[in-house]
Amino acid sequence: MLKNLPPLNNHNLPYPDTMHPIVVHFVIAMVLFAFLCDVIGYFTRNHRLFEVSWWNMFFATISIFIAIIFGQFEAGLAEPYDAAQPVLNLHTLLGWSLSAILAAITAWRYVIRSRTPQKISVYYLAAGLLLTVLVGTQVYFGDQLVWVYGLHTVPVIEAMKERLLQ
Amino acid sequence: MNPEVIDQLKTQLGANGLPYAIPIHPNLVHLTLGLFILGIAFDIIGALFFLQKPIFKFLAISATRSNFFDVGWYNTLASAIITFFTVAAGFYEMMLAEPSTGVKSAWGLQAMETMLWHGVGGVFLLALIVGMTIWRGFQRYIWRKDYNQQVQWTYLLSGLFIMLLMYVHGTLGAHLAAEFGVHNTADMLLRLGKNPNLLLN
Repeated sequence: MLKNLPPLNNHNLPYPDTMHPIVVHFVIAMVLFAFLCDVIGYFTRNHRLFEVSWWNMFFATISIFIAIIFGQFEAGLAEPYDAAQPVLNLHTLLGWSLSAILAAITAWRYVIRSRTPQKISVYYLAAGLLLTVLVGTQVYFGDQLVWVYGLHTVPVIEAMKERLLQ
Repeated sequence: MNPEVIDQLKTQLGANGLPYAIPIHPNLVHLTLGLFILGIAFDIIGALFFLQKPIFKFLAISATRSNFFDVGWYNTLASAIITFFTVAAGFYEMMLAEPSTGVKSAWGLQAMETMLWHGVGGVFLLALIVGMTIWRGFQRYIWRKDYNQQVQWTYLLSGLFIMLLMYVHGTLGAHLAAEFGVHNTADMLLRLGKNPNLLLN
């Protein structure tokens, strides 16, 4: 099957640039913004913001799986060197966990919205806070892979091909 | 920026050329792009609601048209607010940038050309996002307050056009990161002839 893919470029990718960091824009923005809307909505009793938060969570749950598909694909082509491997493992583990956690919290939100659309409990707010912290951690691991370890950047791929990263 | 000027801050900068390990601008960009694109996308869902209605009904999710316009408005507004910080962080980090000099990007541009386009383009995009938000606010609160469809088609088309600009602009930013190695620890270590695999272990 790999033979059907276009040849890999100087980023070790079959397309110009990494896609995973682009897709995660949406998950990050939606999850964080949903939490912000929940907090403001909870304290100002502006129930319109609860709708904003619900729809952001709904689409974030769909997007996270697209992010994971690209993430797995690009992780598979990253050829991480030894120093980067532990961070990539953590990022993968937390990424898959987040898909389950996000789906569960959105399902909870669906139930809350069906029963009391103008109210959320403080427990749901706490779950939102936990999710925000986990997403922040996940972003930090992803940032390390790109900005510290330079996976899929041209200089690192070049060095890898010249076996300079042993 | 010229290396001697950057050296004035030398004692405070790490291997990536910044006083902190992870650049801030690329993280704020997530919020700028994510919120703006979603803001337009939710407005499009609202405008084409007759198409989505059966899907939401099938999924047993109650959805009203005006909710999507609420989501569209608040997402766009949040994007406009956060983008001031995105641009500020971008300029801070660009003034400390020391890109590789002997390289051309996939678009055939050199580092300085890429930085100039990305820097100036960023200010224009900020202006466009703020302008769109003001336009959106007028539609929401004054011109189309009582309309079923809160947004004009020209607004949505402008939004799609700005997304195209964002794609071009974002790719220039990606080139700075992944081809010129700006503020990338591993890339800057390699440039100094050091082995990141040993130093970052």
